[in-house]
Amino acid sequence: MTTPILSVQEVSYRTAAQPILHAIDFKVGRGQIVGILGASGCGKTTLLNLIAGITHPVKGQVLVQYDGEEVMVEEPGPDRGIVYQAYGLYPFLTSLENVALGLKLSQTTIPRRMIGYVTRSWPHLRRIHLRTAEELLVRFGLSDAMDKYPHELSGGMRQRVAIAQALIMRPQVLLLDEPFGALDEATREDLQRMLLVLYEENLKAVEEGRLAPHTILLVTHAIQEAIFVGDRVMGLSRQWNWKEQGFSHCPGATIVYDKAAPIFKPTDPVDFERFVAQKDEITHVVFGGDLHIDPKTHCTFWSQVHSNHGYGVTRDA
Amino acid sequence: MTKKPFSSFRQAAGIRTPISRKAVWMIGASSVLILLFLYTLLSIHQHQINATDTTIPTWKQMGEGIAKAFAAQPRTGDRWIIEDVLATLSRLGVGLGMGVGIALLLGLSMGVWRWVEAFFLPPLSLLAKIPPTAMMAVFFTLFGTELKMYSAIIAFGVIPTLAQTIYLGLKDIAPERIDKARTLGASTSEIIFCIMFPQILPKLLDVIRLQIGPAMVFLIAAEVLVGDVGFGYRIRLQSRLLNMNVVYPYLAYLALFGFAMDTFMRWIQRKLCPWYVKGGAA
Repeated sequence: MTTPILSVQEVSYRTAAQPILHAIDFKVGRGQIVGILGASGCGKTTLLNLIAGITHPVKGQVLVQYDGEEVMVEEPGPDRGIVYQAYGLYPFLTSLENVALGLKLSQTTIPRRMIGYVTRSWPHLRRIHLRTAEELLVRFGLSDAMDKYPHELSGGMRQRVAIAQALIMRPQVLLLDEPFGALDEATREDLQRMLLVLYEENLKAVEEGRLAPHTILLVTHAIQEAIFVGDRVMGLSRQWNWKEQGFSHCPGATIVYDKAAPIFKPTDPVDFERFVAQKDEITHVVFGGDLHIDPKTHCTFWSQVHSNHGYGVTRDA
Repeated sequence: MTKKPFSSFRQAAGIRTPISRKAVWMIGASSVLILLFLYTLLSIHQHQINATDTTIPTWKQMGEGIAKAFAAQPRTGDRWIIEDVLATLSRLGVGLGMGVGIALLLGLSMGVWRWVEAFFLPPLSLLAKIPPTAMMAVFFTLFGTELKMYSAIIAFGVIPTLAQTIYLGLKDIAPERIDKARTLGASTSEIIFCIMFPQILPKLLDVIRLQIGPAMVFLIAAEVLVGDVGFGYRIRLQSRLLNMNVVYPYLAYLALFGFAMDTFMRWIQRKLCPWYVKGGAA
């Protein structure tokens, strides 16, 4: 595999009241979609916030590859997009304006826009931004929703806009925090397939020798969703053999599962047969409450990749 | 006899059943006409008792009162209505402008920075409990009886409510929206002015609209007490002379002004916050 796009190195995090995460250590290859599973309250969102730079680790560091260099994450930035379950869209902006917002904020400043009104450079740039946003919304099947405000859209449409809003920044890593949790089953599957389209674009880019454009970390509590959408599934749990490792109290949740998941095409049916065995394994390891699980036993993704000479977007390994 | 089908018990009982827009207008207009009719009856009755009565003037006397306010005064050539409108409106404008400006600065700072919140919240909460009219003596002493005093009393009256509304509005903004703005490349000033402020703007406009009423109360009360021109002054003076044919039209002008301001603020809100008017939540 080429240099990982994201490295989480021995990251631990705790609040004043209790430890949350312990020695989280993993690497993500460019173009992967990683499903992150875990029980409610185990620290999945905290992990995303640490990667986004919204919270800071007590120990360890998060590195993101940016312009060919590994940069330590210290604060939120346009290289790490985030999408929340509650959409996080701005109610005072239309879909088009919401999607174009990132370009405006990252490419200009308030004084530059004020001067640009006078010199007419800002209206010109603004038109370019809106055109770019429009193209993305059309690609996401939202041609009819451009001028609508978030409250005028359905939940599925809002989440598409939110994903477009993050993707327009061309982030190195897109962090999705239970993005489909509030949606009905049909809309959920529709959006899952939209992510599979993005993965297909990644595969095509790798085949053509280009850099895969979309690296996604998808936090979810639905095992089926993680397996269906991700090319890799990780499980976070507070139930592991911490006593055997000499801790008197649980030092926090850690990664107890990290394996490849079957790769689906956007048009493939949801074939339960293909992931029923993995689902049972995840249920046992991540949600089973077994205090004798050794975190290393089920974290075999990279050895799987190397023994198979690559997998999905990592097949150049 | 067949019973008319109702879609719900509420509809059958007539509770909050919608009526047509035309019916709303007609019922509203008839209530005003009934009021005017009752006033006319009362005035006729009073003038049957005392033909020279000015406490409940006839419509003819009312016309004379209106003409008097618009006419040039023989000695000075000034017209009361112009003098009073200019004085009251300039005091209200300066006071409300100052109040909104300071409240905006305070509310925004309190909503953004915790240390500003910790510093200003206790005094603001305390001052909000003191009725501004009770503070008039303090304002007369500190600022005299000129424009400064009227502006200060209006500003003092509206700042606590406005500042707290802005501050609470900002506190209500979901942290994810702020975090997301940072991932979209927003600077601190952009988060304040491009993300937070537009979101509370419709509520701010609503509160400003609602604060025009109290601001007028503080101003008229101050003018009644120490004014030498303005609506409050004229109402006090003319009521002492029992010239109610001048006082009642002045009250009607105040009502019309309030109505016009309300309509204007709603128009501003429609123009600046179309999303809110369409039903979006701030």
